[in-house]
Amino acid sequence: VSSSSTDNDATTGDIISVTIGATVPTGFEHTAAEEVKEKIGVDARISKDRGRIYFPITTDKLFQVHLLRSVDNLFVVVEEYDNYQFKESKEETLMELQELASKLPWTNALEVWKLNRTFKKKKGYRKGGNGTKGKPKSEAAGATVADTEQQELPQATSTVENQTEESVPEAESDTQDSVEAAPRAILIKFRVTCNRAGDKHSFSSNEAARDFGGAVQEFFQWKADMTKFDIEVLLNIHNVEVVIGIALTEESLHRRNISHFGPTTLRSTLCYGMLRLCKPQPSDIILDPMCGTGAIPLEGAIEFNSSFYIAGDNYDMAVNRTVNNICHIQKRRADKGSISGLPIDTVRWDLCSLPMRTSSVDIIITDMPFGKRMGSRKKNWDLYPSCLREMARVCRPGSGKAVLLTQDKKCFSKAISRMGGLWRKLHTVWVNVGGLHAGVYLLKRTEAVFEKGNT
Amino acid sequence: MKLLTHNMLTSHVKGVTKGYPLLIKATEVKMNEVEFNPQFVSRMIPKLEWSALVQAADELGQRQDLPGELVPDYEKNEDFLKKVHRLLLEVEVIEGCLQCPESGREFPISRGIPNMLLSEDEA
Repeated sequence: VSSSSTDNDATTGDIISVTIGATVPTGFEHTAAEEVKEKIGVDARISKDRGRIYFPITTDKLFQVHLLRSVDNLFVVVEEYDNYQFKESKEETLMELQELASKLPWTNALEVWKLNRTFKKKKGYRKGGNGTKGKPKSEAAGATVADTEQQELPQATSTVENQTEESVPEAESDTQDSVEAAPRAILIKFRVTCNRAGDKHSFSSNEAARDFGGAVQEFFQWKADMTKFDIEVLLNIHNVEVVIGIALTEESLHRRNISHFGPTTLRSTLCYGMLRLCKPQPSDIILDPMCGTGAIPLEGAIEFNSSFYIAGDNYDMAVNRTVNNICHIQKRRADKGSISGLPIDTVRWDLCSLPMRTSSVDIIITDMPFGKRMGSRKKNWDLYPSCLREMARVCRPGSGKAVLLTQDKKCFSKAISRMGGLWRKLHTVWVNVGGLHAGVYLLKRTEAVFEKGNT
Repeated sequence: MKLLTHNMLTSHVKGVTKGYPLLIKATEVKMNEVEFNPQFVSRMIPKLEWSALVQAADELGQRQDLPGELVPDYEKNEDFLKKVHRLLLEVEVIEGCLQCPESGREFPISRGIPNMLLSEDEA
């Protein structure tokens, strides 16, 4: 049941505590929670609704959420109900949702939304790459020098005065000394996005978004705009769990490093999850023998930068795109005044005959062809055993590891079992990649010595 | 191509038994500054073939005063670690080729990328 918050903490700039929700690649919720614990120092809760985690934060630490590499999208929670009792009929349910709009504790969440806007990059960053002032410490997208533009919310209009529980924060400026300007006719534009899952609901997500959105519009006198909105209100319904939030990220953070895409480029959050799984250590030599556009090794070179990455592929467009992506990031770093060089190299090779010394690699991490978007199932029957064997040869016995993503689970498991004990499965994470159900296999390279001619 | 990568690359031409280290013939070399991490360097040294690194540094005219053999207690010698850091990570061969010491087969390097693909009859 909602708790009412007072006006005091909203308008004085005091530190307030809120709950942040984050969407993460399904299967990597625990990895994301680990990252939150490590970088923010709080315990995250994993939602029953897969692919979501929640954690508390105080506004003085808010910028830290933009340092997280395992999250796709972030939002601030307005209210959460873990056992929402929906009414029997659709009409009653939708009516109740409409009534809810005016009763929710919007104040703190809106403060956080406002604060968050000051962290965002200026629009057109990707194209212009305009230099930011000073030297940001982190490479993460979104962690930039504060935007000095004033963000103002319009004055609440008359419909709000009747509300007794909550009032909308008044227009304020970020600088202390400025006089309150006469309210400009800035209209806040918003939209509501509803995600609904469960079989017992009497309504659709569109209906909920429409009716809830209509009530929000009435309450705040904001303008609804599906494409150019300032505020995105989230209505997430998962069975009896209902969460209302305000989005803190505009576009998903998943492709942050990649400017030169290929047909199957993996999102960076998934790359980060896979890297975390293998726990790269200082001086680890990490190989991606089928690197595509280099998403995985590039994420590693940025986030786990005390290891060394060798990205390889047989396809010339792939190696060229990888080098382009690396150069793009290095240039971006140089533009910010940081030391730009990354611990990564690119080689063109045939992964079934790697030009690498035996037992020279600590970790192998890659996205294996699925056979649906690239390659074919039939080819995988031959490809998987040969490349797993070659990977076993170059990987250090005893201490070596591999983290391999594949959708062709049958072919993969069979290939592993026929490898004469060179690999042992440690853990599997089930993930969703572009709608396909895939597995991320964490393997240990056993002590068994590789001998030419076994299997 | 960085020298750290070169230290691990080997010729895999069919029939070759002594394909390491690959000889470097560089026509364009660039320096690319990389952040120095002493722990990275000191832990990497035992994984390297030291003589191959020295030979590669010689071939590029970058050896300076790098010793032919590892000095004891190098882990604490920051000057030494910095020299090794520079060679392993900051010297980049942009254009040139790698040559198999046994068969003479040349693998071209272009845009910093060595092309190690073999033709069908070589594999």
